[in-house]
Amino acid sequence: MGLKRFIFRRLVEIAVIFFVIMTVLFVLFRLAPGDPVSRMVDPSMTPEDARLLMASMGLDQPVWTQYLYYLKNAATGNMGVSFHYGQPVSHILMNRLPNTILLFTTSIILSALLGVFLGKIAAWKQGERTDTLMTIGALFCHTLFLPWLALIMIWFFAYWVGWFPITGMVSPDVWIDPEAGFVVKALDVLHHMALPLMTLIMIHFGSYLLVMRSSMLETLKDDYILTARAKGLDEKTIRDHHAAPNAALPVVTSVGLSLAFSINGGALTETVFTWPGLGRELVFSVSHADYPLAQAAFLLIAIVVLLANLVVDVLYAYLDPRIRY
Amino acid sequence: MSDKHLPSPIPGNTPCLAANRHRSHWVERFLDGWSVYRKNTIGRIGLTLLGLFGLMAAASFIPQWVNPIYHPMTGVDPLISYSTGPSLRHWLGTDYIGRDIFSQLLAGARIAFMVGISSALISILFGTSIGMVAGYAGRRTDLILMRLADMIMVMPTLLVVLILSALFGQLNIWVIVLMIALFRWPGVARVIRSQTLSLRHRPFIEAARVSGASHLRIIFRHILPNVMPLALLYMTFRVTSAIIIEAALAFLGFGDPGTVSWGMMLQWVWKTGHMFQAPYWLLPPGICISLITMAFYMTGRAMDDVLDPRLRKEETQA
Repeated sequence: MGLKRFIFRRLVEIAVIFFVIMTVLFVLFRLAPGDPVSRMVDPSMTPEDARLLMASMGLDQPVWTQYLYYLKNAATGNMGVSFHYGQPVSHILMNRLPNTILLFTTSIILSALLGVFLGKIAAWKQGERTDTLMTIGALFCHTLFLPWLALIMIWFFAYWVGWFPITGMVSPDVWIDPEAGFVVKALDVLHHMALPLMTLIMIHFGSYLLVMRSSMLETLKDDYILTARAKGLDEKTIRDHHAAPNAALPVVTSVGLSLAFSINGGALTETVFTWPGLGRELVFSVSHADYPLAQAAFLLIAIVVLLANLVVDVLYAYLDPRIRY
Repeated sequence: MSDKHLPSPIPGNTPCLAANRHRSHWVERFLDGWSVYRKNTIGRIGLTLLGLFGLMAAASFIPQWVNPIYHPMTGVDPLISYSTGPSLRHWLGTDYIGRDIFSQLLAGARIAFMVGISSALISILFGTSIGMVAGYAGRRTDLILMRLADMIMVMPTLLVVLILSALFGQLNIWVIVLMIALFRWPGVARVIRSQTLSLRHRPFIEAARVSGASHLRIIFRHILPNVMPLALLYMTFRVTSAIIIEAALAFLGFGDPGTVSWGMMLQWVWKTGHMFQAPYWLLPPGICISLITMAFYMTGRAMDDVLDPRLRKEETQA
């Protein structure tokens, strides 16, 4: 089918882009001041160990052999050992990946749904006070500086009111407790996730609301809405079943376009809330000069963004039957 | 008294040089747009806010000139060595080593304008040229340039600059500006390209080509003036994203250590653990970043309304 071929073609494209990113990263690592050897090898090692490690990583070989090694290692998931944790990088990152995906997808889906829902109402009440309030509110939330909003959320909800934990993803006492079942643990994660999730939704729903509003206003001018009215359908049905589904398509496009922005925001949120995800690991590794970890975290984030783009494209094709690849 | 104080004659009455007519055309276009812009409430609020921030930036030299203890970076009050609340001596209080928060806030406004406008200018320059070339040349050039744009567009700019600062150490503020600009042109290039595509086969371009104008001349003399308003519109949005990325970078601790930006101030509050005790220190920089972003965003939206003739017609009809 067309869709399958489209996905296949996009996967090939993603592989090519990823290959380019990896190559650029390799070149940058070689261009950077200082030699790669001292960067890839932990300074506290004995010379003998360092030489063994260098040999095992192929750093005593010519550059182009190193490049082939680098590609081979990346393909087999062997990205070296983290200086800070002393564990294989792939092990650490595979541990962090689900946490990022959980926060990232939940926040994007919820903020898109909220944006569509509120944008629909704003467009329906165009020119009225509800519309003005919603538009201004969306504009306001959209332009808030994310890390600052995160700090304010922590200050208010976690410190002042005390409803939510200040940082982290789990409370140790719940997870050590052998009595605690799955539900208790899930609730604990949810309790920790509430604040970062609220922060991300507040930042993101605004732009989706504005997109939905203007697209809905366009849709309402279409002939088939007039037809629906002429048929005597009630207003709620026209709004929810005739206008809104079509008007929501540009929101899907806008989600795709803002993915890079969302992953930036995700990294900032994870860092402020110490959510153990990829973004926080990248920031942490960069500030601790943990090069193998930084490189691998960046590559993994790049894969996540590229695949998320593909998912959005496929979703768009699924939602809009006129699009056939 | 003398002739030169008389109001200049009406353009239509006097024969004027081509250059003069050209300029008055631009002035007229600007005044035309301004009269539409002025009626836009959002645009008025945005411009007013920008004016206020401009005043802050202009006033940023005053505190340290009054007394060196108010210097945003090096000025330390000899009587205070910890964070104190607002007082007459320090209007917004002091930070963890006794530096004046108000003067830091003013210096931050200067940095925000500097980073935002220079980075936006560079990325607009890149985006407009690449977009025009891609749209005008078409074929393989277009394909290659747009693929490159797509590739850069999906990259999260903040994290890219982060990994670069991991490799090259602390980045200078101008390097940060350049990095942001280099990763923010694709959006502009795409819009300018589609605009160029629609211009390419208009009669006046064909006429220029037939009369022997070179490709470069066509691009810069005939296409550029027509895509310029759109490029200016995108500039306001690029200013916003540049300010946010620089602030976020500084907040994470990878800013230029020699500058006092609002992101840097937030990092100091956060890293020194003052966020629960010192709201007078936590609130101002965040409010400023949010407001300046909103101001540029509002200005951009209002400009969008001015440039979109469809909306203007609706407004006059209503």
